[in-house]
Amino acid sequence: MMMLQHGSTQLLCLTASSGVPLFTRGASKQLPFSVIGSLNGVHMFGAGHGVVLSSCETEGGGKVVWRVFQDSMMLIVVSGGGQDGAGDSKEDEVRLQRLLENVWSCMVLVLGQDELTNVRNVERLKRDLRSCFSLIDQLLEDRQEGILGNLTHCADSLLPPNPTLLQEALDGFTQAADSEFGCLIVHGRIAAATEKWWRLAPPEVVLLSALIRSLSASGSASCDYPVFLPQGSPTVAHRLLRFQLLPGADVCVLCGPTPSLHSAESGMVGRFWTPLVETLRDCLAVGEHSLPRSVSLRPDVLALLLINRETRRSVSCVRTSTNRPLGDPPLPSKARCWEILKLFYIFSTTRYFNQEETLCVSPEERAQRANTDDFVLGFSHQPLQCYLVTEECKSYGLQTPQHQLFLLAPLSVPTFALRTVATQTLSDIVGATGF
Amino acid sequence: MLTRGNNNNMAQVSPSSGSIIVADWHRCKDSKEYFSKILHKKRRKNFGLLESPVMPPHVAVDTVHYKIFLSGKSGVGKTALAARLAGLNIPNMHYETTGIETTVVYWPVKLRENGRVLFFRLQLWDCGENALRRFDHLLPACKEQVDAVLFLFSFTDRTSFDDLSNQIAKWTGAPVGRVVKLVVGTKFDLFMHCDVAERDVRNFQETWSVPVLRVGGEVSDGLGDVASLLNCLAEHLWHQDCVSARRHSQQETGTVL
Repeated sequence: MMMLQHGSTQLLCLTASSGVPLFTRGASKQLPFSVIGSLNGVHMFGAGHGVVLSSCETEGGGKVVWRVFQDSMMLIVVSGGGQDGAGDSKEDEVRLQRLLENVWSCMVLVLGQDELTNVRNVERLKRDLRSCFSLIDQLLEDRQEGILGNLTHCADSLLPPNPTLLQEALDGFTQAADSEFGCLIVHGRIAAATEKWWRLAPPEVVLLSALIRSLSASGSASCDYPVFLPQGSPTVAHRLLRFQLLPGADVCVLCGPTPSLHSAESGMVGRFWTPLVETLRDCLAVGEHSLPRSVSLRPDVLALLLINRETRRSVSCVRTSTNRPLGDPPLPSKARCWEILKLFYIFSTTRYFNQEETLCVSPEERAQRANTDDFVLGFSHQPLQCYLVTEECKSYGLQTPQHQLFLLAPLSVPTFALRTVATQTLSDIVGATGF
Repeated sequence: MLTRGNNNNMAQVSPSSGSIIVADWHRCKDSKEYFSKILHKKRRKNFGLLESPVMPPHVAVDTVHYKIFLSGKSGVGKTALAARLAGLNIPNMHYETTGIETTVVYWPVKLRENGRVLFFRLQLWDCGENALRRFDHLLPACKEQVDAVLFLFSFTDRTSFDDLSNQIAKWTGAPVGRVVKLVVGTKFDLFMHCDVAERDVRNFQETWSVPVLRVGGEVSDGLGDVASLLNCLAEHLWHQDCVSARRHSQQETGTVL
């Protein structure tokens, strides 16, 4: 059966108890009502027989993943499959599972858990759910290059050249706003955050970054957004105040009833940040590389994703102008490198490395989903390094107690040299930045 | 002391267009050096909160700050209007604004009286109707120290036009104080789907004596399509400031006597 066009993804949301459709997003051509009904029906049939249907594959390479949240809402995602090189079905399933988790979190973020779990009036809920569409569509499109947090649940970070100055200003600003939760986002990545911000659950940090990115993209100057924290505060809303200091650089605080947006903006923004305009501009100049110039990467590194397993932060970059000797095979494009980086991350974490399970799933659910291959469970030891050579490039993964590094290199690099390239890159970055 | 009631009289004497500031000044040659400061590569420049248009030191230009609230039914085009006035990308899909978003517009204006040039810094406050209903603290935040309200209706949605009187009534209560009120009809270009007749608009304008402006259609060079609205808004704001300044000085004299 081929339900959707190749490469397209559709999301369905229904009430779990009665199967009333609440909304659908994604894919230009909506699935017919009868198909939606059957998808819900087959899950219900399983449940009636004590079976939880979590995913299935179609002959045409499509994939369906079901998930019920808080016994109240059913999310189903249907993928047309065959996305240009989207790996095999394992990679696809991990991606779709993550998508469902993220969609649910963003529904809680905007509406709060109470409204989603105690449904009194379905029509009203349908109308209120529209407030989540902007974020949900952003998750479905997943088009932002260089943002991997939605997948890794590690905060995409940017390492500024002058971290101390920014940190001091941020701490002072946050305190003046009667808050302990503050963060500075540059090019959509966290450049500085208060200690408390880092203590939010990692998926929340990622979700807030996504919200701030979408608000920032509109070009507006400031915002006062009510937000619920899916894990920290699912029933009481906080206020997210966001100020665009310079285009591309936003400072945010999470606070209670005070201060008002107007007073924070007129009384505090200028006082704390005007002295730092140049520092902020330097930070913007770091750009998409997310690493300061003091870090010199080996020329044979095409792209990398480095995760700090303890702090749940990540930095990543794809390099554009690697000089290619004549006669070498062409290098994958920038967009393709980001795509391969994601696929290699899923490949390594499902097959070899520990998946750092974030806390948003209960242990029972985790067992149900079992993303980790039986293959891994069969090992008597924990693999520390892995590599993969494809027609496009070579990939190398490396795991230490503190870090995970995923690295792409051109085909011209001999396979035996990959380990050296990776270990040296890791020590180059950690040595220069203390990441 | 003046009674508050006088201030809120809907039949405010509004300045006639072009009587206080130079209309279409953006087309004049002498405005070039000012307008160039709000443009970047022929597009409108997006200013962060730490930035503002910078003039050379010998040309001193004062900047006057105003807070403007956009009021109107969900889907009427508040966010799109803010983006249009600021020269930002207009979202091609309608999404609800689920909190307050503010947009800053810098606009140079030349006063007719003395040829003085001012930069108007207009901060537009936009808040989704559903969010206003769900969270009580948002409307008071929007009303705090507000200088003007733009009441929006859509030419393609009759109910949004019929709702205007309700919307305006909310802002004539005593605590609001002196606020400039203008009505803006959006999606004026979609005449095929027009749901509000020209006659209705005229009647409305006479009953309420509130100016009605129209927007819609192509976004051109980023100045021409917004100039009339921004000039009109600036004119009303400046007029209001002059009136209250005069009143204030009269009051002062009274105290001295």
